[in-house]
Amino acid sequence: MSRKLTVIPEQCSGCKICELVCSIRQFGVNNPKKAAIRVIVVYPHPVLRMPIVCSQCKRSTCEEVCPVGALRRDNGVVQLDKDVCISCFKCIEACPFGAIYAHEDCEFPIKCDMCGGDPECVKKCPKGALRLIPEAALGEVRRLNNVLSYTQMKEIEFYEKGEKKVIQYAEIGKEEL
Amino acid sequence: MNIRSGYFRKHLHVNLTDGEIERLDLSETFLEKYIGGRGFGAKLVWDNLRMHDFKIDPLGPENLLVIAPGPLTGVYLPSSGKCSFISISPATGMYGDSSAGGAFGVELRQSGIDVLSIKGRAPELSILFIDNDSTEIIPMPELKGKSCLETEGIIFEKLGTYAMHIAAIGVGGENQVLFACVNTDWSRNAGRTGIGAIMGSKNLKAIAVRGHKDLPVYDVNGLVAEADRAYEYLSKHKYFELWQQQGLMNVIEYANEHGILPTYNFRDTVFVRHDRINGEEMLDRYKIGDSACFACSMTCGNICLVKNGKYTGTVTEGPEYESCAMLGSNLGVDNFAAVLAANRLCDELGIDTISTGNIIGAVIEGYEQGILSLADIDNEEIAWGDEDAILNLIRKIAFREGVGDILSQGSLRIIERWPEMEKIILHVKGLEQSAYDSRAGISMALGYATSDIGAHHTRAWTIAKEMEEGQNWTDEEKVEIVIYHQTLRPLFDMLGVCRLPWIELGLNERHYENFYRYVTGRETSLEELLERSKDIYDLTRLINTRMGVNRKDDTLPYKVYARPVLTGPNAGKVIDKDEFQKLLSLYYKRRGWDENGIPPREIEAKFDD
Repeated sequence: MSRKLTVIPEQCSGCKICELVCSIRQFGVNNPKKAAIRVIVVYPHPVLRMPIVCSQCKRSTCEEVCPVGALRRDNGVVQLDKDVCISCFKCIEACPFGAIYAHEDCEFPIKCDMCGGDPECVKKCPKGALRLIPEAALGEVRRLNNVLSYTQMKEIEFYEKGEKKVIQYAEIGKEEL
Repeated sequence: MNIRSGYFRKHLHVNLTDGEIERLDLSETFLEKYIGGRGFGAKLVWDNLRMHDFKIDPLGPENLLVIAPGPLTGVYLPSSGKCSFISISPATGMYGDSSAGGAFGVELRQSGIDVLSIKGRAPELSILFIDNDSTEIIPMPELKGKSCLETEGIIFEKLGTYAMHIAAIGVGGENQVLFACVNTDWSRNAGRTGIGAIMGSKNLKAIAVRGHKDLPVYDVNGLVAEADRAYEYLSKHKYFELWQQQGLMNVIEYANEHGILPTYNFRDTVFVRHDRINGEEMLDRYKIGDSACFACSMTCGNICLVKNGKYTGTVTEGPEYESCAMLGSNLGVDNFAAVLAANRLCDELGIDTISTGNIIGAVIEGYEQGILSLADIDNEEIAWGDEDAILNLIRKIAFREGVGDILSQGSLRIIERWPEMEKIILHVKGLEQSAYDSRAGISMALGYATSDIGAHHTRAWTIAKEMEEGQNWTDEEKVEIVIYHQTLRPLFDMLGVCRLPWIELGLNERHYENFYRYVTGRETSLEELLERSKDIYDLTRLINTRMGVNRKDDTLPYKVYARPVLTGPNAGKVIDKDEFQKLLSLYYKRRGWDENGIPPREIEAKFDD
């Protein structure tokens, strides 16, 4: 079963350990700017700490725009063939998520290769914000949360024989004192 | 000898008066002796003082502001995001420093410099923009009066990218409130000793940094293995989860239980309504997310949102223990939402929550006791727990309106204006006391009194040990532990890492010797590093004594001697003056300073190069 590297932004604390371990694994250097995953922290909204990483799209734009065919799918992972790549960076521009990166020191685009199936970032994330999830299970958390959110509902309006009625649910959480 | 890596060996010096920008080389001896962070800062400040014959106006253009990450800042090891801000403090007139987490220091290092120093005064409100090898001073008068948060947004827009880190001041800093802070990454503050006022006095609104260089590490594989062991240890610790959930907020419960929580301006040490401002309350009703400094797995930042009531919509990163205690129980506020609002306001205006809470507490008590008349406080009543009046006073301090003008000048000037306030306000050498009551433990009191920056807890937080093991140790042991903390804790600042993994989760300090070795390639031991740190403590003491500090300044606030704790486990306790003096003498002796607290002459020669 194929697994996806998935991000749960609500869990991310913005510590950037994923960036560090990625750069160490890819280039052997301590430089978060050379990682194939980046945590974007957006101000002023403090809740958005979102790691951006390649989704290995099945119909990948990067693969389609590459003029020399340097990006090829291998076992579900889009890999960059550095022998073929001409460093035009069209893939970086084309990626709808901005998940391929450039660095002034690097000749080639920096792209997630899933570390051969066992991503370092997933192993080292202290918050469990990065996960390898079976494709079929994608969206499960959100589905469950949507269902659960109904338990927060305090009342439900409905019509019975043309008459409007309201059912009060037990209130969840403490009221403002 | 042989520092093989770990540094760029570059010192960026900016003179704002004439716009001169220099990149100086750092010598091997300098790196080895002063390590980084606070060490670099203390040495550069010392050299600058000597140049000005020790007569310096902290808010004058000749005062040097040093911003220094350490050699471990930004590398893969627990909580490596710290950066120190060092200068002569305007609040105390002596050596002052403060450190901030986040990732500003990391970005600064990635731009290829180990230390940044700033002198002079820009002709108009400006920002400093460091983009890797280029440095520019950009006038931006339109930033005047903007909050720290707005400033970041405007700079992102002006410079056309968000991929950078910014240290900015708010209105408090611009107005030179003597306890103004520097705000990095939105809400990681270098809060204490008034560094923000110094930036304000230099007409420097913000420092924006963008860097993309590799951080120099001698042995990456060794470092990764060691760091993995450290992360592993932390994640298995029994309190790790509590830290991820509550961060420092768990200390409220602890402090209340042990009778060290400041309540009603340190009149008491237990707060009856502590359950309304503690970590549980925060988790139940306010917390919406976690936030961590660079490379930190402990995520002690709490992002809170007020969902209903008067303060609906207030979002803030924090509060942590100090802010919550000083703006909460210390002011008699038992509404967590109000604490959040006050914390947020302080962040926006760029003033230190600890000093602000302390001073407002003193105002409330002073007014209650009739030392301050209604006319003194602008005919606006204030009382314990009066949220509106407190928020209003915070605003007035930052804008220096009415009574806020005097309050913004810190404890020393408040006492000058109203001498009776001496008995009410808690400060050491002009720095307002942190949120740990010291009457419960004499070693904590000694830590406050002898701290080089004033009554600040991060120099020697020895109270936990005294709480756990009782008071039955010899004086020697008490002095010893204060000195050990004063030596080890600054080492963290010098290395550029956070101390919390060590002090809170007991990460073995031996790890840091290995981290240092893997990063710099220099064979060393923890003992040797501590020796360097001890030297820095001597150096900062030397700075202070040269500026007039001696035994008479190593004292404690009036309340600590004279006002017994009212309730709780420490009821009735005060610090005995004679006992304290005895301990102080012993402390000087152990430090090798004379009876008056002055380091011997020959020590000075150590720092001559």
